[in-house]
Amino acid sequence: MYADYAYLIVALPVLAFVLCLFVGWHLPRGGGFITVLATLGGLIISLGILKETYPNQIVHQSMHWFADFNVGILIDPLALVMLLMVTFVVTLIHTYANGYMNGDPGAARYFAEAGLFTAAMLGLVYSDNLLQLFIFWELVGLCSYLLIGFWYRKPSAASAAKKAFLTTRVGDVLFLAGIILLYNNLAALNIPLKPGEYLLQFPVIYANIAQIPPAQLTLIALGILGGAIGKSGQFPLHVWLPDAMEGPTTVSAMIHAATMVTAGVYLVARMFPLFYAAPHGLTAVAAVGAFTALFAATMGLTAFDIKRVLAFSTVSQLGFMMAGLGVGAAVGAAAVGVSIFHLIGHSFFKALLFLCAGSVIHAVNTNDMREMGAVGKYMKWTMYTMLVGSLSLAGFPLFTGFFTKDEIIAKAYEYGVMINFLPYIFLVAAAVLTAIYTFRMWFCVFTGKERSNYGHHESPWVMVGPLVILAVFAFGFGMAAQHDFYSYLDTNFEHYSVNFDELGVIGGHAAEGHEAAGEGEGAGEPWYIKLLPYIISIGGILLAGLFYWDKIKRFDPSQVTGENDPLRRTLLKGYYQHEIFTAWFAETVVYGTSLICNMIDIKLVDGWLNWLSAWILGLAENVRKIQTGVIQNYVSAMLLGIVVLVVVITLAMEVGLV
Amino acid sequence: MIPLELNILLASVMFTIGLYGLITQKNGVKLMMCIELLLNSANINLVAFSAYQPNVNGQVFALFSIALAAAEAGVGFAILIALYRLYGTIDLDSIHAMRW
Amino acid sequence: MIQNAISLMIAIPLIGAVISLFAGSKAKFVALIASFIPLVLSLQMYMEFDKSSKIMQFVESYNWVPSIGVKYTVGVDGIGFPLLLLSTIVSILVIIYSWGEGKKPNQYFALLLLNEVGVLGVFTALDFFLFYIFWEVVLIPMYFLIGAWGGPRKDYAAIKFFIYTHVASLVMLLAIFALYFTYSMPDGTRTFDMLTLLQATADKAIFPTGLLNIIFAGLLFGFLVKMPAFPFHTWLPDAHVEAPTAGSVVLAALLLKMGGYGIFRVIMPILPNVDKAWITVIAIIAVLSIVYGAFLALAQKDIKKLVAYSSVSHMGFVTLGAVAFTWMSIQGAMFQQFSHGIITCVLFMSAGTIQHVVGTRIIADLGGLADRMPKFAVIMMAGFMASLGLPGMSGFVAEFLVLTGSFATLPMYTMIVVFLSVATTAAYHLWAMQKVMFGPILKKYMNVHDPHSYELFSMGMIILLSLLFGIAPGLITDIMGTAAHQVMEPVVTLSQMGVI
Repeated sequence: MYADYAYLIVALPVLAFVLCLFVGWHLPRGGGFITVLATLGGLIISLGILKETYPNQIVHQSMHWFADFNVGILIDPLALVMLLMVTFVVTLIHTYANGYMNGDPGAARYFAEAGLFTAAMLGLVYSDNLLQLFIFWELVGLCSYLLIGFWYRKPSAASAAKKAFLTTRVGDVLFLAGIILLYNNLAALNIPLKPGEYLLQFPVIYANIAQIPPAQLTLIALGILGGAIGKSGQFPLHVWLPDAMEGPTTVSAMIHAATMVTAGVYLVARMFPLFYAAPHGLTAVAAVGAFTALFAATMGLTAFDIKRVLAFSTVSQLGFMMAGLGVGAAVGAAAVGVSIFHLIGHSFFKALLFLCAGSVIHAVNTNDMREMGAVGKYMKWTMYTMLVGSLSLAGFPLFTGFFTKDEIIAKAYEYGVMINFLPYIFLVAAAVLTAIYTFRMWFCVFTGKERSNYGHHESPWVMVGPLVILAVFAFGFGMAAQHDFYSYLDTNFEHYSVNFDELGVIGGHAAEGHEAAGEGEGAGEPWYIKLLPYIISIGGILLAGLFYWDKIKRFDPSQVTGENDPLRRTLLKGYYQHEIFTAWFAETVVYGTSLICNMIDIKLVDGWLNWLSAWILGLAENVRKIQTGVIQNYVSAMLLGIVVLVVVITLAMEVGLV
Repeated sequence: MIPLELNILLASVMFTIGLYGLITQKNGVKLMMCIELLLNSANINLVAFSAYQPNVNGQVFALFSIALAAAEAGVGFAILIALYRLYGTIDLDSIHAMRW
Repeated sequence: MIQNAISLMIAIPLIGAVISLFAGSKAKFVALIASFIPLVLSLQMYMEFDKSSKIMQFVESYNWVPSIGVKYTVGVDGIGFPLLLLSTIVSILVIIYSWGEGKKPNQYFALLLLNEVGVLGVFTALDFFLFYIFWEVVLIPMYFLIGAWGGPRKDYAAIKFFIYTHVASLVMLLAIFALYFTYSMPDGTRTFDMLTLLQATADKAIFPTGLLNIIFAGLLFGFLVKMPAFPFHTWLPDAHVEAPTAGSVVLAALLLKMGGYGIFRVIMPILPNVDKAWITVIAIIAVLSIVYGAFLALAQKDIKKLVAYSSVSHMGFVTLGAVAFTWMSIQGAMFQQFSHGIITCVLFMSAGTIQHVVGTRIIADLGGLADRMPKFAVIMMAGFMASLGLPGMSGFVAEFLVLTGSFATLPMYTMIVVFLSVATTAAYHLWAMQKVMFGPILKKYMNVHDPHSYELFSMGMIILLSLLFGIAPGLITDIMGTAAHQVMEPVVTLSQMGVI
């Protein structure tokens, strides 16, 4: 019965968008409560659907749209956990935003755009076909653009918004290419479609992967991965995500931490059978994910802007999720559950961390951690909720992050045993760095001395309330949900009878691999591998404390690296990404090409035209000299003409031509 | 009856004189006179042929031609008078305001 | 069912044009009425239109000059009807947008109406002679709109526009004559009937490939210049930059579509009978138009020129989809015609509004306008998003169909387009948007304000239409799906259809 109203999950936020856009200006707080209620409605419907379908049913509705495409709703375990997470977290963030955006003259615009975003994100999650997913995928990109540039009067915000849109657009190009390839490959198979079935529907795709040539599968997988890389901020298209922090903090929490950026991971999870069947598909996923996890973590170490630290952390954690999917090459479809579990857990604690950071920024009025310090004295709630979030992110035992992240590391170890240890090494290193930078941030902000003058007040209850709720989930979700979650998600592809053994043969994966994984978790892990997660998290936190917590401080960061240390400079400069991507690629290569084109157009394409008209004018200038205007000349010419005519005709008659 | 050849000869001579004048003369009035010569040589031909091939078509046509010539002369001389008033001369070589 | 609907649609704006010429300052009301009636008629036709039928509908045929086989034959099918609808919609919106025109309004509105007459005629004429007449009728009002209401270099632009497109039309006319004089009907008379002549081109005995290649080249040249496609596009930026806003809108939204319409109506039936090399040639032209147009747009300093080059880029999709010759790509190309027709209106109207509110169109001189013109900013943003192919708006549907469909037959060209143009298109739109609208408001623009409500109304309507056709493309693609089948099949003449 709830499933009949599944469309409302998207329709309600759309309604909120329209209402806020047109009447929000006249409502208190920009009509934020409308958006909250709309999202809450989505949450209730999602819960109802969970109640109806758990544990072994799916919801699939579809109708014809245009040409060979349809619109439809597909709620399977994978989509449902995403729906629940998104509606839940976003409801809390919208509630928080009611306090955070209070007094901003553009609040109505904020809530309208936030409503549109919510609709697009939810639509993305429960799309039943790839085209519809792509459409919502682009719409969340648009909302991200609009919300990053929310304070459009700030040039940096406008630039960041543009950069975000364009960088993800590069990924989308690949995604689009992937869709086109996939569609044409499926069309070439001439599948007999039953009524109500369309080529780009996920069930149809799953059922026909095995018939597509493997080389094509790899191309398709790489294209789709490209889209995921762009949206989920993976290397090398991660450059937009730190800049995206120019938007309001709630936007960072909602879009650039908890929901939208996970869409890339979700996409790969959704297309997992295809990646599994594509030779080298998952290898690419694992490589990208593991590298990004470490790469972003190193940048998180040196950032001073509290939101940028969290942004790099997000990039890094998304890398973990990608790597979690990538290790599916060894562990099979179980990888989806592992990765999505981290995705959900991450969305709780990262949303929490961002909202706490927002609360701090709201009070301190700066993003720079060097100007904070001892904030905890005045903001007890914020301090402790943020501590929960940080512990969870650092993977402290019993917190959510411990269960979710370390499961990925454990799977990576299995992958290492069977295929390659590189992802494992990268992920462990990244996990250590995660603990360090997280607590560097926490210590810098909440402990020590006040380093500048700021307002001493706790945030209002609409902001603290969501923090507390999120903190509860950031602490307990991992422990409580662990086993049910895995068993629920592991059934996901069984609904479509995906034959992973067959696909594994196409993809070149050892068939016994995921059999072993299915039997016992970490059965063959030595004791030090099992102990490692505890060492990583606690050791990392202690190490951060030694540098940054005044109670146990032993080292000064400035003594470890000098001002001109090339490594430090590289990290501070963010590996010179701005220089490479913006200054060199965008401004020199692309803009340069366009200037050359413009030159060609003016000088050559239009040039020859102007040359032609000038030449004709010149010719006319010469030819008109014949027209002397002297009547005698004309008469002479006529006479001459007659004579010539007479001679010619006479000669012709002589010769006998006429 | 005068033979047709003589008529044609007369017309040819008149035509040639007219043509020669048209090419060599610069004076506007003289040019008008030469044009009259050309027209009338054609008229002589028309009338002559009409007389030798008994019907009146040629003569009718000659009448038209004469009427036209009169009109043409009227317009032509009017232009020449206007030119004279404007430039003080009817030497066509010195009137070239519209030449390139 | 309305009798003679098409003739009425052509006649009413024509009468309106004459009346508004003598209506002085009341001309705008005359124009509104004279463009509203065709709109109602076309909507009525939409209701009555048989979407699944492949034959000509609403056909009227009268002898005009029987001695040389000229007839007045009009009718629409799935190829022409969406464009007919587009013309009536755009015409009335342009007239509303120009409500405040103060310079010789009577002549201005008369010319706009005359334009509508020509465009409607082109999209409905089924006789080459009639087609050519309407084709040329369109040139005249546009020439005067540019020449009399244009910007500083209007003379240059108007003459360039006229001569360039006129030369192309003449080449096309030669090709039409070649068709006319080569084919004679069974009873020995000659005919200008479009469908009969096109059907005859399939007959190798009448039209040997060598001759047909030449005819084809002539027709193609005529249409490609109009579209315009690389390398014949250079008249477009000049004409746009100098034309008044309404002129630009009509030029981009309707006149360019005539080229595309010609491709579907005339070029596609001949394409299977000419050398296969033509496909490569046209595909290269299409890809170059798309990619090169996008890069050119990125380099422009004048926002109107940017929009003009974006038209070149977008119209390339029409050529690409057509030449790829799959059901989906042709459908997409037809939809792109319609969709670009709508979207480009709002882009040119935006450029025009910036010009008359702020006084300049040079992107570098603008900044922060969103601060003072919030409503306009929303509309312009929506328009730019539609133009860069944002899903949910009509442009995306068209481009997606073209690209997905074209891949089946022209994979390499399609991938070049995907990789080089999609991101570049987004880049120039966003770049312009940022420079014009965002950032701190410049001091000198503190006093600008949202434009008149009638301007906002016509732009807003277009955004709504783009959304409507983006969300429910079936409203139009149902017609185009049938038309795409029709394009891919041999031509059937009116008499074979049993229509006359």
